[in-house]
Amino acid sequence: MLRYDSTSSSAGSSSGSLSSSSSSSSSSKPPQQDIDGYKVRSSELRQVAQRLERLETAMGNSPADFSQLASDAILYNPSDLACWVDSLLTEFAEPPPTCSSDFIVDPVNNQTVVNSAWTAAEPHTPQVHQNITYDEQQSLDNQLTVVTAMEEDSGIRLVHMLMTCAECVQSGDLSLATSLIDDMQGLLTHVNTICGIGKVAGHFIDALSRRIFQGMGGGSVNGGSAFENEILYHHFYEACPYLKFAHFTANQAILEAFDGHDCVHVVDFNLMHGLQWPALIQALALRPGGPPLLRLTGIGPPPPDGRDSLREIGLRLAELARSVNVRFAFRGVAASRLEDVKPWMLQVNPKEAVAVNSIMQLHRLLGCEQTRNSPIDTVLSWIRGLNPKIMTVVEQEANHNQPGFLDRFTEALYYYSTMFDSLEACRIQPEKALAEIYIQREIGNVVSCEGSARVERHEPLAKWRRRLSGAGFRALRLGSNAFKQASMLLTLFSAEGYSVEENEGCLSLGWHSSPLIAASAWQAVPAWDNHMSSS
Amino acid sequence: MVQNHRREDHETGGENKEKRPKFFINDHVDILIEILERLDGRSLCVAASVCRLWCTIARNDSLWEKLCFRHVSPPPSSVRSVVLALGGYKRLYTGCVRPVRSRLGRVRRASWARDEVQLSLSLFCVDYYERLGGSNSNGRLVEKSSPSSLMFLCKPVNV
Repeated sequence: MLRYDSTSSSAGSSSGSLSSSSSSSSSSKPPQQDIDGYKVRSSELRQVAQRLERLETAMGNSPADFSQLASDAILYNPSDLACWVDSLLTEFAEPPPTCSSDFIVDPVNNQTVVNSAWTAAEPHTPQVHQNITYDEQQSLDNQLTVVTAMEEDSGIRLVHMLMTCAECVQSGDLSLATSLIDDMQGLLTHVNTICGIGKVAGHFIDALSRRIFQGMGGGSVNGGSAFENEILYHHFYEACPYLKFAHFTANQAILEAFDGHDCVHVVDFNLMHGLQWPALIQALALRPGGPPLLRLTGIGPPPPDGRDSLREIGLRLAELARSVNVRFAFRGVAASRLEDVKPWMLQVNPKEAVAVNSIMQLHRLLGCEQTRNSPIDTVLSWIRGLNPKIMTVVEQEANHNQPGFLDRFTEALYYYSTMFDSLEACRIQPEKALAEIYIQREIGNVVSCEGSARVERHEPLAKWRRRLSGAGFRALRLGSNAFKQASMLLTLFSAEGYSVEENEGCLSLGWHSSPLIAASAWQAVPAWDNHMSSS
Repeated sequence: MVQNHRREDHETGGENKEKRPKFFINDHVDILIEILERLDGRSLCVAASVCRLWCTIARNDSLWEKLCFRHVSPPPSSVRSVVLALGGYKRLYTGCVRPVRSRLGRVRRASWARDEVQLSLSLFCVDYYERLGGSNSNGRLVEKSSPSSLMFLCKPVNV
């Protein structure tokens, strides 16, 4: 079952669920799609909350009726939670206040498996179900709700068709997939593509069609010049808090690990514009006892036009360090892939404290084959050889590296819908638009590329824990300072939906309790320990 | 001499008929500074447009320094050189500390005061770094007219 929740759900029991078991029948396009989804529109939240309260009191008053209720609940329009609660309330035979409007609902012929919390409806003859309203203002809301419910249904239909199309692609039925793509593109015109499901669906439709028509090289998706990528990355940094959270959390951990050391060396696996390091330089400048000698080695892609972008960033950081009186040295390592980097290029001094910083880079090393010397193992072993004081790892909290295409597609749909929702809160343009393009490229890579072209192989924190523990690292707990700083940082963002969670010493940032990005810190286990701790 | 005395008496006598100001704040700059030190940011900016003397005083970074560290124990002396290098206390306050304080005011916990300033400092440093980039860019990078790293602290504009 796919969980899809695109609206704020603070009313409690409103998690949406879509069933994909009706996929085979969806191509016959019934007049109303088979759906078991529940959505609460934010405009309805107050009413729904009131009704849930009444339901709660009613349930408290008549406990004996509850079990009967659970089995006999009749769903008229399961996509409307408000309606369902009303239907429950009528079951309790509360005297309904006079209704001032009608809410005409077609019955849904539910033939499908239902979520365990709700029960299936028996097919019923069409009835007019009167919504219980309390004042006239709600009649207008209800009329609006009808209109938007139809758009909601189109959105849900889109999701269903996307799932069906992905299934066809997985099974190789490309002709059906192609016709579904045409249908979906037609359906897109009925749906609001400015925000919500329409926008995300549009990107997924594009990615699917690229997969079908251009094969799985998907060169243009993975490409885009390094220059473009930097710009998009920068705007993604500005538009939403994920990268800021990553930078600040990693910096805090590195700062604490460097405590007491006078020569420190940071290795950054993806320098980009170096936006992470000013804050660390400033924190080191102000640390009690004075700043250490800071060396920074930044790894980045080689510039195509001879412009030494790494060196420029290094110069900028050096100027900043000079202004705040921190002794600073920079070294740039140009490598198109992380596995091409060899430890001797980093020139690590044995006396210095080393920190390795990887912001969303390790997942690129995961190949699809689980061979002995896969790039990730090579890189992790030389990192271990450096004996770093700390290795900070920030990765997307998603499972986009499964071998089965449909599973991957489903996960990606859920993950990127959530991310796009969180992006809605951003108001600054053009940052928001470019951030969306950045995410769109990720989607394209996850969906339409295979083999070595697919680099966005995200894995969840639990898998990374196993992998890193197996490679000889042990987890360091991110302290309470990191948590406090992350919470404060999030409070600064005007959207109220972000949440920081602590999970066994790792921090994750999410939107409405769906974690989207997770930060963790690691240290190499000394070699002689490894024999005892390896299992 | 006697004539002078009489003239002075005449003058003071004349002025006593009008209300003679006994106290003019601009004559006492130290008191003026003590008062302006206690203003909030917005009032301080308004005060800067009263007269040239007030403007000079209000532009003095030390007033803004006191504003930044109000409610927080005085910072170590190394902070000042860093902040001045990054652009000064007035810029730190108007760009970072004030928005951070007002946003966090909703969920303020007493223990956060010092961390607010530290977070503001970090954000300020990133902002300085971006300003460096704007002036040094060689035209290949997209020109930023104003550093946007702090834009998320600005009030959202209804598009």
